[in-house]
Amino acid sequence: MFGSIPLGWLQLKHQKLRLFAAITGITFAVILIFVQLEFREALSASAVRYHSVFDYDLAMLSPKTDFMVSSKQFPRSRLYQVLGFEGVESVTPVYMRLVSWRNPVDRSNARNILAIGFDPTDSGVGRLLTPEQLEAIKIPDQVIFDRLGRNEYGPVRAMLDAGEEVSAEINDRRFTIAGMYNVGTSFGLDGGVVTSDLNFLRLLPTRNKSAIDFGFINLEPGQDAKEVQARIRAAIPGDVRLMTRQEFMDHEVAYWNKTTPIGYIFAFGAIMGLIVGLIIVYQILFADVQDHLREYATLKAMGYTHGYLRNVVLQESVILAVLGFLPGMTVAHLVFTQAAGSTRLPLEMTLQSALGVFTLTLIMCAVSGMMALRKLKSVDPAEVF
Amino acid sequence: MDSNAPIALQNVSYTFGKGALQKQILFDIDVVIEAGKIVILTGPSGSGKTTLLTLIGALRSAQEGSVKVLGMELNAAREKDLIKVRQQIGYIFQTHNLLDCLTIHQNVQMAQQLNGIKHRDGKERISAVLERVGLGEHEHKYPSQLSGGQKQRAGIARALVNRPSVILADEPTASLDKQSGRDVVDLIQDLAREDGAAVILVTHDNRILDVADSILHLEDGHMKSLSEAVSEGTSRMLNLLEKHDPDSASYLATFAFALSRVAYADSVVTDSERDKMREILHEVAKLDPSEVEFIMELSMMQKRAHSGLNTPANSPDFDRERREQFINSLHAIAEADGNVSAEEVVEIQAIAHEFGVSSSR
Repeated sequence: MFGSIPLGWLQLKHQKLRLFAAITGITFAVILIFVQLEFREALSASAVRYHSVFDYDLAMLSPKTDFMVSSKQFPRSRLYQVLGFEGVESVTPVYMRLVSWRNPVDRSNARNILAIGFDPTDSGVGRLLTPEQLEAIKIPDQVIFDRLGRNEYGPVRAMLDAGEEVSAEINDRRFTIAGMYNVGTSFGLDGGVVTSDLNFLRLLPTRNKSAIDFGFINLEPGQDAKEVQARIRAAIPGDVRLMTRQEFMDHEVAYWNKTTPIGYIFAFGAIMGLIVGLIIVYQILFADVQDHLREYATLKAMGYTHGYLRNVVLQESVILAVLGFLPGMTVAHLVFTQAAGSTRLPLEMTLQSALGVFTLTLIMCAVSGMMALRKLKSVDPAEVF
Repeated sequence: MDSNAPIALQNVSYTFGKGALQKQILFDIDVVIEAGKIVILTGPSGSGKTTLLTLIGALRSAQEGSVKVLGMELNAAREKDLIKVRQQIGYIFQTHNLLDCLTIHQNVQMAQQLNGIKHRDGKERISAVLERVGLGEHEHKYPSQLSGGQKQRAGIARALVNRPSVILADEPTASLDKQSGRDVVDLIQDLAREDGAAVILVTHDNRILDVADSILHLEDGHMKSLSEAVSEGTSRMLNLLEKHDPDSASYLATFAFALSRVAYADSVVTDSERDKMREILHEVAKLDPSEVEFIMELSMMQKRAHSGLNTPANSPDFDRERREQFINSLHAIAEADGNVSAEEVVEIQAIAHEFGVSSSR
């Protein structure tokens, strides 16, 4: 179709300054789209960090619990009630609450941290702690600390790695840090400590032991979670909610994306990036078509079809998409590396997200090209004489 | 009508616009142009020349009558067929219309690849055509690096690379100086003869009329033969002169034609000769520049029509004062471009002899 002369590319190359402006504009748009989408992705991925480390098939929670960190309590007896159902193997009651952590070095610095408590002999805790750590939290006033929490909690990690004994005041009571686990931060959570149910109640002496925040249910092998869920739901009162693992995660992600403005802001940012890019590419291609109207009319008079000219403009838009995407991706990658280091959020450019943004860039350029093409319709070959 | 002629028009009319704004541009045009012939199409601006050319060039579809180009009927033709005909025509535009982002070679290649010729097979032909138009050394330069005449020649190379059977040229010399204009026209003539193409050349340029096998004159959308055009033009001129000075109209006509004859004596009219003519005619007869332009064009047409300079019916009455003014003015025109050529001297003597006055001052 293009013969041996790549006219679109040659036309772009002929006006170097315009090409540079176009590539810069698209690069900017690509960075914007990448960053916004990736932060949105990180929002979802980080929101369910704890949801995915525990080992359970069904989760029980209060209907008033919107998201994990602000959990409401429900009667522990509801969870034990579930044990009577066929197919249920075990249950794990979990206590959870934001508590105040005082920086062990800079003691004037207090910060909220998520405290999680459960019976170390229960099975639902899964891979979170090692068997040694499970033993350690049975000892009074010992907790396990999240290695990937924010730096503001103090140099706990460095001190433990150096073999020092670290203790910190949590809710004005001194606890010893008996080890570390790996989970990380999210938009609603800066760090965490895990301990036994008894230690948890030492932290919060006013808490009623029989009111729990979450209940994790393990099923016998081969049981269908949906089916068991339906059976339990039909039999217990509506003062608790029962969710499958996936529903539990979706519930949390939906809260952050839909109920809070955060998810909306990132989606909006990505759309703005797309629109900015769209306008830039349209402006560039429109000016390009405008400048070449006479040449295009000449080509039509020589016998070139409208389809040929359309392909020239589309060729230009694809070239712009590729040339703008590559530097945009590189810069976005650097931004992610930098931001992941300082926020401890899961910011990582995956092949999937790169392909996704590239597709968006291509669509953006192609749509701009299509809009610029409307000008081309007006090219009348009879006008060149 | 010869059905083998590359260009054959019959009863062609064309109208622009609709309703109250409707304006008919062409009326019952009949033209047949045989292969190997060069036809020059002249006429004042707005006479419909360009419209006629775009009809033949398949850039518009004809409305009334029959337009046959290369055997294809273009009346009510589909866009697809129009495009097919366009691909077989060589266009030479008023301005070169080269693509700025391509080299001269690539510009010519753009025309060649329309015929589906791979560059591997066609590049030698491109180089040969560029060599032929004198751009062999400039093949890989960009249009911005060439002069106006070189660009126009590149445009010709592009039009001719596929050896088209029909060549259409719209004012190919309009943007060129005298010498480049001449070169370009000679080139079109040579190449057209070599390839046996039918050529239509639209022009205002009197300097290049001599290359034509025949001249067609278009006026207000009507095709006229040259002699019709000349006689109509002459009566218009006499009317015009009578308005200025009823008593000496025929003297002024003779005077103006005589001046033109001297100016054209050596086949080229320089700008200084034109300026001098304007000045003299303005002084003697209060003619404005566009009227002088009209008279000059008319006298050139007369020359082409071989109708001589004896149009005014009565031989003018020369008194002594007029005789002197007449001869002095002829010499002034001859001297206007700085040197008096032998042809100019011969022409002055011939005129003086015809009117029975002495050519010496």
